[in-house]
Amino acid sequence: MSESLAESFVELADTLVDDFDLMEFLYRVTVTCSAVLGVAAAGVLLSDQRGALRVAAASSERSLELLQRQTGEGPSPECFRTGRPTVVADLAVAADHWPRFVTLARGSGFASVYALPMRLRTELIGVLTLFGTRPAALDPGTVQLGQALADMATIGLLQTRTIPHRETLVEQLQTAINSRIVIEQAKGVLAERHRLDMDGSFALLRDTARRHNRRLSELARAVVDGSAAVI
Amino acid sequence: MIDERVMRVWAQVGKQTRGARVTVADICTAAVAGVGADGAGVTVTTRAAAREPVHATDRIAGELELWQSAHGQGPGVDACTTGGPVLAADLRSPGERTRWPEFTPAALGSGAQAVFALPMQVGAIRLGVVDLYRASPGPMSAYELADALAFTEAVALLLLDGSTGAPADTAELAWQRDDPSAHHAQVHQATGMLAARLGITAESAFARLRAHAFACGRPQGDVAHDVIEGGRATGVDLPRQAEITVGGADRCRAARLTPHDGGLPAEDRWS
Repeated sequence: MSESLAESFVELADTLVDDFDLMEFLYRVTVTCSAVLGVAAAGVLLSDQRGALRVAAASSERSLELLQRQTGEGPSPECFRTGRPTVVADLAVAADHWPRFVTLARGSGFASVYALPMRLRTELIGVLTLFGTRPAALDPGTVQLGQALADMATIGLLQTRTIPHRETLVEQLQTAINSRIVIEQAKGVLAERHRLDMDGSFALLRDTARRHNRRLSELARAVVDGSAAVI
Repeated sequence: MIDERVMRVWAQVGKQTRGARVTVADICTAAVAGVGADGAGVTVTTRAAAREPVHATDRIAGELELWQSAHGQGPGVDACTTGGPVLAADLRSPGERTRWPEFTPAALGSGAQAVFALPMQVGAIRLGVVDLYRASPGPMSAYELADALAFTEAVALLLLDGSTGAPADTAELAWQRDDPSAHHAQVHQATGMLAARLGITAESAFARLRAHAFACGRPQGDVAHDVIEGGRATGVDLPRQAEITVGGADRCRAARLTPHDGGLPAEDRWS
């Protein structure tokens, strides 16, 4: 394992401490994926317990939009159905399999997709999806590393179990999915207020949360409620 | 994803209403039958954090809402505070008495041994909570819980859409389930933008966006896109962008995304 890779894992693990911020952590997992796996973008999708996947984190707005458009068809739902990694080294040859998704993905500039299961013992709880801009098969070592990051995301989700009385998985998943909605609402408020695009708005939210030592979802809620005076 | 579960849930609600306007009572009755509960209660929360019980299917469900409001504690109170479901599968267990020292004995006295509290919320918009109870203890199956979540969403959308004066008939609610873009991030981003742009609550902004989309027969994601792009393109008079693109239909005009339309502020929702 290279030094920078080890550092990335240590940095992620370091945040698994008191005052854990799940939404920030999942975002960091997606950014780490981009940095160490050589992919262009990544996202974490979680099971909404009703058969659908919802976006919990994405490394960029471009990947966020694509991730949420996999309604019914696409590599992430397939991975979620089968429980096995779905590897599409070249989207061009998958057009017959997922006509709508492939058109959207290529339109966004992506050429390859890897969807890796997030598993808690026997239960599938979500999917870590990676996007590449060139047709390329990830080597087995890189896929393994990706799976390790998917497992990190799962551990992060379970970390919230230390909060008193939040014992069940469904409680954690529902809360995480709703936290993401709060963040999207806050991005909208900040985008309007500061004339930013959504990537810029998210960066402002993260930066402010870090400077004021607040959890991302808590600050986002305060922004939407109008009780955050800081931004 | 157009979810079979949501379809099934709405079919069950449809059986209750027999074509009439859908009420919270209809959805609760369908939910109780659909998830094997013995009763359901709905409490809405106002901005001032006050709790207001609006429906209960039976005496026990009514008392559960009452105890929680009176003591300021219970699964429904926690679900509203934390923003996640609170599932108390066995109120007889010592842990539950420690957790809610006044509510738990009162609930057991009323005849409930399990309470499943599911918050009605859309991000930062908190509408209230649905409490399902059972007279005997035991967890909900994953399948029942999934249906319970779908029923809860149905109640939340009914209350939300009612706030814009939209007719809550079966057809309108059915429209929601056929709009996969309803869950897209842009809908929530546009909600935040509209709230900031018009100086209204996120709840009002979201209700207006939905009413506008429905009135114009457009997916919510498309209306959201207009709201977001409108902000970028013109910098001023942003809400009109959505109006222009839809023009024509009377119902569109009736559901304008402007500060001057008939949408009620959130505080008036229950009056």
